[in-house]
Formats: sequence, C-alpha cells, structure tokens
Amino acid sequence: MNDQMKIKPTAPCATCPVHNAANLKRLGVDMENWDFVVALAGNPNVGKSTVFNALTGLHQHTGNWPGKTVTRAEGGFEYGDYRYKVVDLPGTYSLLATSLDEEVARDFILFGQPDVTIVVVDASRLERNLNLALQVLGITNRMVVCLNLVDEAKRHGIEVDQRRLARDLGVPVVPTVARYDKGIDDLLEAISEVATGKVLGKQYRIKNMPPRLKNAVEQLAGMITTLYPGLPNARWVALRLLDGDERISEAIRNGELGDLTKGMEEFSEPNLEARMEVHA
Amino acid sequence: MSDQHDITPEQLLKEAQDLRWEVGGDFHEKLMETIYTDAAKIAERAITRPGEKSNFDLDRAIDSVVTSRVWGFPIMVLLFTFIFWLTISGANYPSKLISDVLLGTVRPFLKTLAANLNIPWWIDGLVIDGMYLSTAWVISVMLPPMAIFFPLFTLLEDFGYLPRLAFNFDNIFKRAGAHGKQALSMMMGFGCNAAGIIATRIIDSPRERLIAMITNNFALCNGRWPTQILIATLFIGALVPAHIAGLISALAVVGIAVLGVLLTFVVSWALSRTVLKGEVSTFSLELPPYRPPRILQTLYTSIIDRTIYVLWRAIVFAMPAGAVIWLSANIKITGISIAEYLVNFLNPVGILIGLNGVILVAYIVAIPANEIVIPTVLMLTVLITGAKGFGSGSGVIFEIQSNTEMLSLFNAGGWTLLTAVNLMLFSLIHNPCSTTIYTMYKESGSLKWTIVGALLPLGMGIVVTFFVAQIWRLVANIV
Amino acid sequence: MNPDPLTALIIGILFLALLSFLFLPDKGLYFKWKQARILSERALSEDALKHIFLCEQENRKPSLDSLAGVLKISRDQAANLLNHLETLGLLDVSGSGFQLTSDGHDYALRIIRAHRLWERYLADETGYHAAEWHDRAELHEHLLTTEAVNSLSSQLGNPRYDPHGDPIPTATGGMIRPEGIPLTSLPVDKVAKIVHLEDEPEMVYAQLLAEGLQLGMEVRLIEFSPQRVRFWAGGDEHILAPIVAANITVLPLKEEEIVPSEIGEPLSSLNLGESGEVLEISPSIRGAERRRLMDLGILPGTIIDVEMRSPSGDPTAYRIRGAVIALRIEQAHNIRVKKVRQEERQPAMVSKN
Repeated sequence: MNDQMKIKPTAPCATCPVHNAANLKRLGVDMENWDFVVALAGNPNVGKSTVFNALTGLHQHTGNWPGKTVTRAEGGFEYGDYRYKVVDLPGTYSLLATSLDEEVARDFILFGQPDVTIVVVDASRLERNLNLALQVLGITNRMVVCLNLVDEAKRHGIEVDQRRLARDLGVPVVPTVARYDKGIDDLLEAISEVATGKVLGKQYRIKNMPPRLKNAVEQLAGMITTLYPGLPNARWVALRLLDGDERISEAIRNGELGDLTKGMEEFSEPNLEARMEVHA
Repeated sequence: MSDQHDITPEQLLKEAQDLRWEVGGDFHEKLMETIYTDAAKIAERAITRPGEKSNFDLDRAIDSVVTSRVWGFPIMVLLFTFIFWLTISGANYPSKLISDVLLGTVRPFLKTLAANLNIPWWIDGLVIDGMYLSTAWVISVMLPPMAIFFPLFTLLEDFGYLPRLAFNFDNIFKRAGAHGKQALSMMMGFGCNAAGIIATRIIDSPRERLIAMITNNFALCNGRWPTQILIATLFIGALVPAHIAGLISALAVVGIAVLGVLLTFVVSWALSRTVLKGEVSTFSLELPPYRPPRILQTLYTSIIDRTIYVLWRAIVFAMPAGAVIWLSANIKITGISIAEYLVNFLNPVGILIGLNGVILVAYIVAIPANEIVIPTVLMLTVLITGAKGFGSGSGVIFEIQSNTEMLSLFNAGGWTLLTAVNLMLFSLIHNPCSTTIYTMYKESGSLKWTIVGALLPLGMGIVVTFFVAQIWRLVANIV
Repeated sequence: MNPDPLTALIIGILFLALLSFLFLPDKGLYFKWKQARILSERALSEDALKHIFLCEQENRKPSLDSLAGVLKISRDQAANLLNHLETLGLLDVSGSGFQLTSDGHDYALRIIRAHRLWERYLADETGYHAAEWHDRAELHEHLLTTEAVNSLSSQLGNPRYDPHGDPIPTATGGMIRPEGIPLTSLPVDKVAKIVHLEDEPEMVYAQLLAEGLQLGMEVRLIEFSPQRVRFWAGGDEHILAPIVAANITVLPLKEEEIVPSEIGEPLSSLNLGESGEVLEISPSIRGAERRRLMDLGILPGTIIDVEMRSPSGDPTAYRIRGAVIALRIEQAHNIRVKKVRQEERQPAMVSKN
C-alpha cells in the first residue's frame, strides 16, 4: 500500500492532466476514473449536441432550435490510453455573462480549467461564431475549433480554409459534419494532442482596441500578473474587471482566482511560449 | 521582497474601479465592437465563395411559403390538426393492446399467483389492485399518445420549422405580454404539461419564461383528453340527435381546448402587467437554417425518450397514488372507509360548485396522474352508491366499456348535465399534476412561482365552476 | 341541500370583490398597508433629511412649508418632525432657518445613495418602466441597510450615475458635482449634450419620456420664447413649455467634441430587401436587452438586411452577421441605421482572397 503511494507522482508534469479536481468538483464534475476533462462550447444551433453525441455515443436529444441544452450534459469516451470526460455547455452567443447560460459556460471554462475546450463553430456563419471562439481563446489557449456543418456551408456556396483559420487563431481547426460522423476521428486526435500537451495554442490578443481602452487593460493586466504569476488569462480578467463583472471581482476577493494558478506554474510556463504546429 | 507582495487584491480592485470610471460607460460596447471586428477580419481571410450566392434560395423559398401572409397560418393549422388527429386516433390501437396485456393478461396472472402463494388479501390488494393497477393504467393511457405526439414534434423541430411558428405567432403573444416561443411550449403542453414546461427553456427572457411556465397548465394535456372526450360523449352528445352526436361532442372538447388557449392569453396578459412586471424582459428569436431531419434516428431517440419518461412518471407518481387510492377505500373506521368520509365531507363544497364530493376526492388522490381521474371516480361512485355489478372490489379502479352502463352509474351517483359541464371545465382549470409541479419547481428554481403556478389555476377553477353552477341553477329555476 | 343560487351568486361576487379589494397588486389594501408600514416615522425623517440636503445642494432655503409640501404632511407635523430630527442631533435649528449637522449630512447622503442605486438597479436589472423607477426607489430606499447598499453597488459595478443622470454618492460620501445648465439657458444654435433629466414632478418627467429624450442625446436650441422652447434632439424637433424644458440639464459641447454624427433612420423603417448599417442602439434599450442585442452582433458598422416579416406584421427577421434573427418593432425602432444601397454592399460580400 505504502509503496504504491510512493510511486505515484505528486507534481503535475507536462503530459499529465492539469485539471484541478477540487474546483471541478465544486462545479459538479467528478473526475474520478477520468484522465482529462473536455468542455464543449459553441453558439446555439451549431450542432454542438450532435458533436457531443458523436464523441460520446450518447443519444442526447438534439434539436434544430437554439438553446436546447440549458443544463450541462456529461458523457465520456476513451481515446488512445486516456479516458476523457466531456461536458456539454449551454449554447451561448457570448461569454460576457449577460444571461444565466453564459455564466454557466463562462464559469466552467474559467474556474473548471478544462484540459481542452472545443468550440463548435458553424462554417456557414463563421464571423458570428468566431466572436465566441475569440472570447474563449481569451480565457484558455487549450482549445480546439470544431468547424462543423461544412456540408451545409458548401451548399450555401461557402468554403472555409481551415489552415488559414488555424494560423490566424493559433489553435487546431478540424472540419466536421457531426451529423454523419465525418471528421470525428480528426477531432479526437486534435483533442488528445491538446490534452496531452503535444500541441498548444497561442494566447489570442484582441487587436484593434482603441488606445484609451488598451492602456487601461495593459495597466490592469500588469497588476494581475504581478499578483497572480502564472495566471494564463490576465488580460481577459482585466477586461472583465473593466466591464464591472462582479463575479470576477468576487473571485479575486475570495481567492478563487488565486487558486487557479496552483499547479499551473510548473506546467504552463514553458509551454505557453511554445508555438503550436498547425496540422491540417 | 519580490514584487508579488507589493499588490494586494484590494489594491487591484481599487485600481480596476478607478480605471473603470476613467474608460467610461461604453466599455462593453467598445469591447464587443473590437472582438467582432477581429472576428470579421479572421472570417474574411478564411472564407472563399467559389459558388454563386444563389444557394441560399432553398431556405428563402421555404420561408417565403411558411411565413407568408396567405399560407403561413393555414399551413400551421393543417399541420397541427394532422398531428393531433394522428395522436388521438393513432393511440387507440396500441393503448388497447397495452391495456389488454397489462390489465387483461398480466393482472389475472398476478392475482392467481398471489392466491396460490396464500398472500394475505391486504398485501395482494395494496400491491396488485392498488399499485400495479394504477401504474399499468397510466402506462396504457399515456404511452401511446406520447410516443406518437412527441416524435412528430421532434421531427418538425429538427427540420427547423418550430422557430418559424414562433415567428408567425409572436405578435399575438406579444399583445399578451408573452414571447412567441410560448406557442411552442403551449403546443408541447397539449402533449404533456411537464414536457411543455421543460420546453420553456427555449425562452431566454426571464419574465416571458415564467409566464409560459405558469400558464402551460391551460394547455389540455394528453392525460386530460380522455376525460373530456368521455364526458362530452356521454352527456353533451346525448343532447342532440344521434347522427350529429359525435360531431357535437367533438366540438365541445375542442371548445374546452380553445377556452384553455384563451385563458393562456388572459392569464399571461394579467401576469405580465402585475406580479411579473418587474422581471427582466428581452426578445430575440433566431431562425436557424433548415436541415433535413434524420428521420429514423430522431424517431428512435424520441420514442425511447418518451417511453422512459412515461415509465418513470408511472412508477414515481402513479404507483404511490394507486396505493393511496386502495388504502383510502379499504381502511375503515367504524365500518366506513376513509374515502367515504372524505367524499361526504367534501360533498357540500362539491355540490356548491356544481360538482360532487366524489369528483373532488378523485381530483385530490389523482394529483399525481390526471389519467386515473375517471377510473377513480367510477370506483368511488360504486363505493358510495353501493351499486352492484361494477368493478372488482373496493379500491380497485376500473373502466366500463359500455356507455349506457357508465351513464346509469353516473345517474345513480346524482350526476346532471351541470356536473358534466363543470367537470369538463374543472378538468381544464385546476392545479397541474404533481409531475408538472415538480418540473416547474426544478425549472424555475423558485418555490414562490411554483406555488403560484399550482394554486392560481385551482383558484380560478373553483371560481369558474362556482359561477357557472349558480348561474346555471338560476336560469334553470326561471325556466 | 343546495343553497339558493341567487344568494350564493351574490355572496360569491361580494367575496371576489373583497378579495380584489384586499389583494389587487399595487392598489389593494394589503399593498397599501405594506406601503404604509414602510412609510413610518423613520421614513418621514429620512425623506425630510433628503429634502433639506437637496435644498442646500441647490442653494435654496428649505422651509417648513416646502418640507410639509414635499412630504405631504401638515405644517404642525412638519414642525414636530424638525424637532425630532434636532433631538437626534441631525439638524441645527437656529432662529428662522435650519440646516443639517455633519451627521445629518452623512445620513442624507446615505439615503440618496440608496435611492439612486436602486433606480440604477431597476433600470439595468429589471423590466420596470422608466416612469416607475422613482416611486419604487422612493419606497425602497428606506429598506436598504448600509451593507445591502454597498453590495448592491458592487453588484452593479459601482455605477457613478443614476438613470436620470444624477451622480450617486460613494460609500465614503463623495459625490461628483453635477455639471450643466438648464436647457432654457442654452444659447440658440449651440450644440449641447443632455446630462440629466429631472424625475420630479412625475407629470413633467412623463412628458420628457414621451418625447423620447434620453441621456447623452445631442440637442440644439432652435427657438426660445416665454411660451415655448423649440429644439432638435435625436433627429426630431421637439417643442416644450419652458417650465418643462427647464427640467432638462445639458452640457454645452466644445467645437472639437461635436462629432458630425449621422442621425440615420430607425431600422424599423427599412423595407423588405433593404439593408442598413448600424449607427447606434438607442440608450432607451438598457441592461440585459442592450447586451443581448450587442451579443447578437448589432454594433455600429454592422450591416443588417431585412429578410422577412411575420404574417401577423411583427416581428421582422433580419440577417445579422450571417444569422437570421427576428426582432420586434419596438426594438427595431430603437436601432438607428444608415440605409445602404445593394450595389454598395455587394463588394463587401466578395472575398478578397
């Protein structure tokens, strides 16, 4: 018994899961028997639940109707040597916490620190969907874009150059038609590469910001980094504070935000710098 | 010491506050603008449009028909008439089949088994006549219509038609202070109110969602259709010559359903202007592209979904109700059963509102499942009147196949045309079943609104039946 | 066994009437009773402090009459109230006049803070109509403890102004001096920005709301006479009586601050098949609804195409950044757009790849 316990490594390593079990538990996700946690985000009505079903083999009802999943659905799959727990978040247009759904999704991605966040985007309505993807990218760079409904986009005369998209976003982009299970293998591969740390995205910084705002954000982000070294999304937190987001102020006051950096320091520092390789 | 200790969280928040006041109130707007600008740039670079843009036309063509001024409403009416017709007529055969198996074959088998094993009569009665019977009853009444109605609905949903329905109806609902999507939760309510309440999730505005939840009960659910049809056939149909009796009784049932829709609007209107006026209200309705539904997969998933749901409800809610019904008819205090005490106690109130004690007791014990109201009413009537030749013992719910026999039993119980009319009204306007109340609580997360949702229709039902009864009697006296 | 139906009917009607008399929301006895309980002596004292404070702010002299008038009580009651406040050490009564002590000053600020924060809350987080904010806050200000006020403030992101443009005192009692001049003192043809709309008296405020005036709107005075004030604001010409117009506070803009902004037209005025570029969402769309519209991508510069109209006439579906979204006419009316001709918009659709 004692021997076994000694063998188990205690410090996080580059290939080990980074999820913090305590926070996840608070969010209602039990990570026992699972190696990685994968969050599924996306606009309403982009086939997010279909992707969820394709990944997990579950038959959650999916409807052509925005806002079907309000509570979180959970499932899981095995790929390679690891077991992944998938959490389907409510479909939202944004993560700026204007509604309960958005708060649920935002809290999970921020405080749950999923090992991978999949953002499902509708290829035929890319611009609108990228709005959400960019917001998620402000919180985490451990992200995969699932470019869904490429068949529908093609029908509408739209083709998306996913290499170009991956280069601009700095994270893997996988085209899929989840309704017919097309591209799901590639998606699984991309998930496992990000989960195991083989591929890491780069942090996205919002460009085109008016100087007045930019200065304020820089100044605040600087303070946040000093206060919480290792926090991967200082700029995003700064943006939320400037927007008067009480939930984030609360997280600073009660130390929740500080907790997020635990276990991150060893893990993320070197990798954050590493540029991901874009695979097509 | 290092820099880390130079800043405290309080300082950070203070600084954030100062900067926030400096950057001004339009920060959110500016931020959204920048993100969208970035998104547009990235999208622009990644998208190519080799084809002509004419491909959008299929969606537009469908929309120009289903939302057209001329065809929009007729298409909806036809579609839903078809769905309701298919549900009601299509459910008959499987309902009979299930009931033949569960009640006609399994129950006698269980009874024989119990007799052979020498199980005490009260265990046999409680378990088989009480719990098993009501569970089986609910399954045979509810499963077939649910398994027909909801998959059809789901197909429409997958195709993308339902948001168009909300689009067409929104103006009407807006006038009642509600959301167009309430048309959908209301339609679902015609299948099952609990499902209708879950469907209100699609309404993303808090005020309108509460309105839709509280008023969903006014959509006449599958569990109440059989009551309406039976009473209308027995009492209303009998008023007119035989060859139009079917038509008139059908019209009476439709009239009740339409009254429910009207009440939905009236109550929505009243709620949005009084107790709910402080709740946040926003409106937006996305009309997603049409997608060919995967018919077989959807039917399969949806039928499994519904079956599991009905079984769960039957076991969790109907089974205890069955036990209570049996016990109330069989536990006797000084030779009179609890049910009889209750009936006698409530009879004056029942008579006052044009019903009777039996109906009120049936509605109390049938809170978990409205589908067993009529069998319970029959059983209680036999118990009270002492009529011979019906059912198979006290506390055993049953149904009578022959209409004339049923009518004679009701007549023995003192029923009049007023009783029938008020029963139809009360069946529409009373507290929702316990599954619905439970769902309302889970979905709204608020005890207060759940209580409103449960008691408001009950209060309204009592008021309506009371006034109908008094005016009816007044007119009858004069005539 | 049956009671006489006529008697039962009459009793029933009487019973219903009694119920509605007791419990009708906002008008029933129960509600009135609750209201009266709030408006206890403490509430009266607090309102009195507030009145005196606001008089001092505006360099008016509060009097027994003004106090009795504002609180709707008799002169005797007002005099008693003043005595009461003096014994509490909140008021200095010297000779003919009276003024707040430093404690009274702090107390009054706290109540004003509660009042204005609550108005902000009603405006941003609830669905109440603008005309109701003041009265509701007038009741609720007495119910909030200091802690509740502080947590409300941080929950709202520590706002600086209430929805009428009045500054909200901070927890430490600091308050920005309101700037600006009444619209009636603005020179003709000078451009200014609305910074405050006085919410009392109710009748006048209702008139300002009905004119569609909003904080932040640019105004230009066209004509000023003792009979009427004529001015441009929000793309429309407005005519008000001077006494009403005096309740609008404006801040004259310097030359360089005047952005040559386009007024455009409301989105609701576009026909099917037409397109518009968003200029702004009117300030009258607030809180959750405003953020929702922005989340949907309705931002300055966004191109919106009018796609189809519901067979019942409303709502109308618009193509916004690739998705078809239906908006009601009230919303579309408050989104200002610049019409875009189809020829101009085509090139943007073609990729520059």
